[in-house]
Amino acid sequence: MKQVLHLQVNGEDVEVAAPPHWTLLEVLRYGLGLTGSKQGCDKGDCGACTVLVDGEPVLACCTLAAATEGSGIRTVEGLADKGGPSRVQRAFDACGALQCGFCQPGMIVSATALLERNPDPSLAEVKQALSGNLCRCTGYTKIFDAVLAAAKDRVPGMRADGSVPMAYGTPTDGFRYVGARGRKADAIGKATGSAKYTDDLTLPRMAHGRILRSPHAHARIRSIDTSRAEALPGVFAVVTGAEMPHAFCVIPWTPDEHALAVDKVRYVGDGVAAVAAVDEDTADRALALIDVDYEVLDAVLSPTEAEAPGAPLVHDRDWKDRPRQDNVCKEVELAFGDVDGALKDAAVVVDGEWHYSGSTHAAIEPHCALAEWSADGDLTLWSSTQVMHYLHRELARVLDVPEAKIRVVQPVLGGAFGGKSEPFDLEFCAAALARKAGRPVKILYTREEVFYAHRGRHPMDFRFRIAADAQGHVTAVDNDIVLDGGAYHSFGLVTTYYAGQLLPGPIRFGTYRFKSRRVYTNKPCCGPKRGHGSVQPRFPLETALDEVAEKLGLDPIEIRRRNAMRAGEHTVNGQLVPSCGVLGCLDAVEAASGWKQRHGKLPFGRGLGVATSMYISGTAYPIYPNEMPQSGVQILADRSGRLTVFTGTNDIGQGSSGAIAFVVAEETGIHPDQIRVIAGDTDLTPVDLGSYSSRVTYMAGLAAQEAGRAMRDVMVRAAAKHWDTTPSDILVLPGKYLLISDPEKQLDTAHVLRLAEALLGTPVSTGGGYRTRKLGGDYRGGTIGASPAYSATAHVAEVCVDTETGHVKVERIWAAHDCGRALNPVMVEGQIEGSVYMGMSEAVLEDQAFHLGMEKRRAMPGRDRTRGMHIGPNLLDYRIATSLDTPDIDAFVVESVDPGGPYGAKEAGEGPLHPAIPAVANAIWDAVGIRMRTMPFTPERVLAALRAGAAEVA
Amino acid sequence: MLRMPEFEVHRPSTAADAVRLRSQLPDAMYVAGGTDLLPNLKHHLHAPKHLVSLARVEGLSGILRAGDGTLRLGATTSLHAIATDEVLRAEVPGLAKAASLVAGPQHRRMGTIGGNVLLDTRCLFYNQSLPWRRALGSCLKSEGTWCHVIGSDKSCVAAQSSDTVPMLVALDASIEVTLPDGSTETIALAGLWTKDGRFERNRNLPPEALLTAVVIPPRAAGHRSTYRKVRARQAIDFPQVGVAVAAGFDGDRLSSLAVVVGAMLPHPKRLDHDDVAGRPLDDALVEHVAERAYKQVRPQPQVHGDPGWRRELARVETRRALRELLPG
Repeated sequence: MKQVLHLQVNGEDVEVAAPPHWTLLEVLRYGLGLTGSKQGCDKGDCGACTVLVDGEPVLACCTLAAATEGSGIRTVEGLADKGGPSRVQRAFDACGALQCGFCQPGMIVSATALLERNPDPSLAEVKQALSGNLCRCTGYTKIFDAVLAAAKDRVPGMRADGSVPMAYGTPTDGFRYVGARGRKADAIGKATGSAKYTDDLTLPRMAHGRILRSPHAHARIRSIDTSRAEALPGVFAVVTGAEMPHAFCVIPWTPDEHALAVDKVRYVGDGVAAVAAVDEDTADRALALIDVDYEVLDAVLSPTEAEAPGAPLVHDRDWKDRPRQDNVCKEVELAFGDVDGALKDAAVVVDGEWHYSGSTHAAIEPHCALAEWSADGDLTLWSSTQVMHYLHRELARVLDVPEAKIRVVQPVLGGAFGGKSEPFDLEFCAAALARKAGRPVKILYTREEVFYAHRGRHPMDFRFRIAADAQGHVTAVDNDIVLDGGAYHSFGLVTTYYAGQLLPGPIRFGTYRFKSRRVYTNKPCCGPKRGHGSVQPRFPLETALDEVAEKLGLDPIEIRRRNAMRAGEHTVNGQLVPSCGVLGCLDAVEAASGWKQRHGKLPFGRGLGVATSMYISGTAYPIYPNEMPQSGVQILADRSGRLTVFTGTNDIGQGSSGAIAFVVAEETGIHPDQIRVIAGDTDLTPVDLGSYSSRVTYMAGLAAQEAGRAMRDVMVRAAAKHWDTTPSDILVLPGKYLLISDPEKQLDTAHVLRLAEALLGTPVSTGGGYRTRKLGGDYRGGTIGASPAYSATAHVAEVCVDTETGHVKVERIWAAHDCGRALNPVMVEGQIEGSVYMGMSEAVLEDQAFHLGMEKRRAMPGRDRTRGMHIGPNLLDYRIATSLDTPDIDAFVVESVDPGGPYGAKEAGEGPLHPAIPAVANAIWDAVGIRMRTMPFTPERVLAALRAGAAEVA
Repeated sequence: MLRMPEFEVHRPSTAADAVRLRSQLPDAMYVAGGTDLLPNLKHHLHAPKHLVSLARVEGLSGILRAGDGTLRLGATTSLHAIATDEVLRAEVPGLAKAASLVAGPQHRRMGTIGGNVLLDTRCLFYNQSLPWRRALGSCLKSEGTWCHVIGSDKSCVAAQSSDTVPMLVALDASIEVTLPDGSTETIALAGLWTKDGRFERNRNLPPEALLTAVVIPPRAAGHRSTYRKVRARQAIDFPQVGVAVAAGFDGDRLSSLAVVVGAMLPHPKRLDHDDVAGRPLDDALVEHVAERAYKQVRPQPQVHGDPGWRRELARVETRRALRELLPG
């Protein structure tokens, strides 16, 4: 079957035996172990697999390997110069162009090919050359910077030998490292293709798992017969839901989901059975041999359908096994102050309906899990997860194995954005199959399965009212929200609260009321996506506020200034906001965008819009109540002068490991180059609750600060003893400790660590933790939305509307974000740019859409089987912005210095996304005088609204 | 990763061998760049037992200009080469532009002009994985019996989605093919397509025929051409609307005009319009032709985008394409 291919790969002649139906990507990854080339879509839609074949950048996933016989192949692994990474690879690292890094091997190959034929490209040429490589993290901004820096040989921080230190910029005044521009902890490995993501791992005797998925949006399973699949040669194990009967959920008291369906399937794509086989082809064949007898049920595809009288129930029983009467998953109603009175007395009221469509994370790395059991019955699970600890707990529950017998490891992770923040069927199935097969099992989602796993942004319908007095002060907000939850609970109760609880701020509300109702539907489950639950209601708030300003004749920035909260204030729903830099953010974007000279004065078709937002720096409380720290950090010193920092945080590309290294460096004086962060391994690292709700810089940062301080105390004591003085006589400087009373006397930090070990007589090891503080409003639900600190953001967007076609071109976004204190400004800017990109893309392009049923004349005779089908579960039909669609992004860092955060730091990863959508909508108003209240702002909708001459479109 | 059906790969070095292999082997298909075929194989839309790769076939690639102005584009010439060739950019600017707008940069390096001419029609109910299609009950173009787009068991409306095809039709191009009996034939491109979008029914060509070259006849004096593409993103996407125009000018008067609309129907649609000879390309004529685009093309929801909006865009983009031909 196999044939031998002769290739020259990265300058070496190789012979590789491969089946003729393999692609070049399979030959590289499976045949040659060159895992630097990534698989993101498997169909030529994303560019992550780009390699050079005879010098030409091609998509390895769509290249027939056999057709490349005799060719010269260069992969990302072959780009390095003698003696180290290439200048392009260094530039990507130093410029902060690598976040999750998963798209970057392909991106770097494309960039290298460009520079080899055009050593001095213009920015437009760079954008064009990279337009077939999708990146989901960076907003491309720092990628462009990196390519141009490499071309001009101006790589920031680069030393004569080509290397770049972890911290190369100037620290903020009064700090040793904090505020210095710098690299990320793991980035150069991503740039060179050596970083190992979950799918890059292979174990001896490893089997490949696949999951059979429901073809029906709603059906009862009468029976499953796996005997024919089990009999297929090469099949090692088959599992069904009956073997994993315990329900699970990331929220421990609302388990409504099973590893595989036990009685019903609830959306097209719901998992039904799983197989492990010798290879993927055999696993696919085995799936086709599983016979499932379904009783098809009517499906509900929208909250309207789900709440209609007599609607079929998505779940017959709730998580306490009580019969359900309806499809309402969670309902919340809260009121603060006399809303009706304020509405009655208002000078202006804006009242309307808004619709926020669903969107998904589309991280370029598909989910992947690899499971192996030891002879002692201990499970190791490698998974692309951003919540290792919660996964650990749910694995124990579903697999019926004590937590102490389970180790969860998070390898390098290729983007998450909330899409990997709870357990998924592949993790349970890989483990169950591996146990049954007696060998390691890996399951890699297809891109289509990623769309079914979903947990993306909830579609929300709003009946929204806002009232203001004659001066523009917001006196009331009243919001009635319906969330389309999809088939399962996920974080549902949190999302239901967040849709209301996170809205009051940075705009101050006089009174506030919201009703929020999450409804089950027969579609993939919605969940947390960057800005969990809170991005959607910002759309009506910030666009309605613009309408209020218009009615009152106020400038849109001015009305936001009049309503801006100040540090130390409480929101109307009782949350303390210790720091708030929204005014500084408004000042920054107003000045940079030329707002005063340009807003309202641009030619028809071009406009500016503003919007603001606020977001949590972690949730106040853990998902399951406990008295233990929410984040723990340990530091172990080595005699070499190196510190190893152990943290349970999940670096998902946002750079948490780098942030923690900077904190420990700041405390100890030890250069970040000499700090290694070990993260994401439940056997090695103390618990951190995970990378969600923008909690890591704040909470793990404080834990690292405490551990770092303890390390410094030991080091200072050791230095003091060495010089026979008191600790107060020691000054900690970058890289050295100095005797204040005799400044000629200095010790490098490595020497101090050896003194410390001698002083203690034990290994030098310290720990720190972030402990839960009492926070939140004093009412039921008052702790949801409570956070120790809140970020603030303001955007100004500039758009150009084609009035003949309806196309909205977002040309530029100025985004200022108050992150409290930037530990490493490169990373903060990267979070702002990536957030702006994701929000912009969501505003004009993205829609996680389903067929809702055909008109009668089009429907197939019999049952309409289109109902509930995803319209295009792939990266061609679900469109995320390319380098050519992304606006120029100007990121401004505002530092309000939060009193509680590490050095004043707070979140930067999610807040900066929120204003992009309403800022674009408000800019469309400024450009052409239409108010868009339905997302996304597609050309069809915009043109229809222009034609209607109306203030809105349905 | 996604699995393709198991097949053998053959790498002939001559066109004659390629045609012979394709004719003799059961369930065989040609593959050139693979950017269209491989995703379709990963979707199990075809189940070939043999692929005849054209990668090694000699003499199939390259751009030749004859003394009379005839342009001969070898079938495996890459779209990147078409887009960047100086002669083509000067003599048939609309074709170079159309090629430059295909998909993304890597697709244009891999994809060939022959492959782009023979690109399979596309539909939201067709270009999906096998499990997806099975859940749907498949469609008329794949394994099923029903077109979900128009509600019919007779006709497939999957869209002709190549960017170069409308332009080549506007240029009166033809293709050279080698037939199973070894003979070669030249076929006018405009007549290649049927009104049925199904794979083997879409072309008036035996499936074993090998496309070896695209031939563009000498252009009219004062030739100008352009192509406009509507898509949601500025890269990667297939067209939602494509409009190609080619015109001959005698001073500021038209001598000829061809307008071809793509991405709307299973075939490229050449517009019928009033005789233009001797007329200036003035507003009245532009509006006349743009209106014809709207009237003569009725798209369906077979690809992304509201069909009513796409129809409107055919008018807008025809108008814009014509205006691009005006100097200054």
